[in-house]
Amino acid sequence: MKATLAGSAAFTLSGCGMLPRKADSNSPQQYTGAIGLADGSFAVGAIAPSGQMLWQAPVNTRCHSGCNRPGTAELLFFERRPGWAFYVLNSKTGEQRHHIEAAKGEHFVGHGVFSPDGRYLYAPVNRYEPGEGIIAVYDSHQHYRRVDTFELNGIGPHQITMHPDGQTLVVGLGGILTHPDYDRIKLNLPTMKPALVMMDRVSGDILARFRPSHHQLSTRHVDVAPNGTVYAAYQYQGPAHELPPLVARYRNGHYEEIDFGESVHRELGNYISSIIAHPENELVAIASPVGGTALVFNGRTGEVIEKSAIADCAGVAALAGGDFLVSSGRGKLVRMGKGKPGVEIASMPVQWDHHLV
Amino acid sequence: MKRLALTLFLASSLTAVPLMAADDKNASDPTAVYRTQWHKDILAGYQSLATQSQKLESQAQTYCQSPSSEELEATKRLWLDAFLAWQQVRFIDFGPVEENNRAWQFQFWPDPKNLVARKASYLLKDEAPITPEKIGESGVAVQGFPMVEYLLYDQTFRSSERALPAGRSCQLLVAVTRHIARNGETQANDWKGFQGNYLGSEQYTDTTIRAAMAGLEILEERRLATPMGLRGNGKRSVYSADAWRSGASLIAADASVHGLKNHFLPAFAKLLNDRGQTDLAKRIEQQFEEVLANFPELDRPMAPLLSDDNAFKPLQSLYIDLTQLTALVNDRAAVELGVVRGFNSSDGD
Repeated sequence: MKATLAGSAAFTLSGCGMLPRKADSNSPQQYTGAIGLADGSFAVGAIAPSGQMLWQAPVNTRCHSGCNRPGTAELLFFERRPGWAFYVLNSKTGEQRHHIEAAKGEHFVGHGVFSPDGRYLYAPVNRYEPGEGIIAVYDSHQHYRRVDTFELNGIGPHQITMHPDGQTLVVGLGGILTHPDYDRIKLNLPTMKPALVMMDRVSGDILARFRPSHHQLSTRHVDVAPNGTVYAAYQYQGPAHELPPLVARYRNGHYEEIDFGESVHRELGNYISSIIAHPENELVAIASPVGGTALVFNGRTGEVIEKSAIADCAGVAALAGGDFLVSSGRGKLVRMGKGKPGVEIASMPVQWDHHLV
Repeated sequence: MKRLALTLFLASSLTAVPLMAADDKNASDPTAVYRTQWHKDILAGYQSLATQSQKLESQAQTYCQSPSSEELEATKRLWLDAFLAWQQVRFIDFGPVEENNRAWQFQFWPDPKNLVARKASYLLKDEAPITPEKIGESGVAVQGFPMVEYLLYDQTFRSSERALPAGRSCQLLVAVTRHIARNGETQANDWKGFQGNYLGSEQYTDTTIRAAMAGLEILEERRLATPMGLRGNGKRSVYSADAWRSGASLIAADASVHGLKNHFLPAFAKLLNDRGQTDLAKRIEQQFEEVLANFPELDRPMAPLLSDDNAFKPLQSLYIDLTQLTALVNDRAAVELGVVRGFNSSDGD
């Protein structure tokens, strides 16, 4: 993929001159993401609230997403597909603390989450010869030694997050079989079995498994609201002229898919790259780089509240005060929220990968 | 939850085009006319692929029934004809060719781990009969043109005791060419059957344009710049090109450009002209000719051109002509039409 510059060489910040505050008070007041640089190399970059690029940590290959380590000034990022390693960085300076490689026969998939005490890392992994999805557990108190493995009895886990109960892992099981020898090929589209999986993080027991309404709705991205409502975002592997649902919600024992209406679905291109439930209100945001659309909906009613055409948008983050931040492959950061159409607040000469941490 | 396949709403999926509001003759789907032409033009390309693949299958059988050097040469010629027919339509990355990874079945590339050679070796050493089912289960590295190319051209293989026309290699040759021919026929039929959905859904206009843009970018970046040493570590190497075993990398590039010209450009130029972009349409048409004018002089193996600085120059000219074409289509025209191919949208998560 050719790297392209997004606008001018300097970083420009419109509006009040400050990036808005993050909603999540547990993580540092900065936004980090995997970035592609103009010279074709890759880094993990952090933007301060003042709008400055705080640091860029060079990485060997394109990264994808990661997680903050609770209670510490550490941040973790995974290499992207196939993901042979993860980096542990000082979140203040970007200095690399650890570079941990995947176990033999395994590769990471770009996501992971810590236990609430910041000790254990739970990382979805592809055991690629048999094509089995697992959750690999690493102990940060022992230099990230691998301490446990949970079987998912399924294929293609992708995003993982922690339920507010601190005990339950929420996993997006994408269902797509891949193998490093066949780099981008999806090997099992006719027979895939994606699901939203909930798992006990201590025992590894699977507590619930929810299947989408169509077997080709790859359930890759997930988030949980503070009230325990779980959201899943799909990527449809079927033909472009079909318009299946793309978001599902689990609450009060019910798993149901949300219908945004045909014209909105057309703008989502059958593909959601990330989903986030705002911790301060009922709003949920999703982004689609294929549709070039980001939207905010009411999680409870499913009503679309705000929608913005943002070329190549992919990452979403929650801002203090109730709004959302959307990042794009063109280096843009866009703020949007209830009653607030998307406004570009920054433009940078980097290409943001799908997720903001 | 079912959805109607027909487009009912008014807005075009091609955004940022002020002309659209004024030009609302077919308010419900103003771009159907281009897809009508694309469907027809692309069908011709798939039918050609089907026909050529059938001829290759037939010839493989003829050769294996009575091997001779003449029949081997005929097989190579028909492999090339079929392979080039695929190169012409290779840019179409949507629709029926996505079924069961059919595009990968036709051509598994890149192959950085040399899976083609490994799989060939495994199948030839194995004792089980090489049936159509076996080919079907063996994965995309076995199922297409690169495997046939390996059997016909790979130097190490050809000097081994298993080389054609040895029994087992002939079994493999016949089985793979049959698989390709089946796929060719299915693909042409499936594309015909796809017409209703393709014409009925406006987003396929963007999809088609993006497919052509991806085709040009792959040609420029991966099939030319990379082997020419213009990317990454700066080393020239024919092994990062496709079809290096047969020396057909450049003739394949020629075919891919022809393919875009034959199957994509006519409706695309019309679209640009209808949008008032007559100048740009003309420049693109001219630039296609500039690129194609580098051939047939460059219809030769790439490897010798990479190792000789003088011979490298015409290759550089081709590359420059191509970058100019890519810039016109992927940058200029894309901006005018509001079509986006991005860092995230083209390399999904």
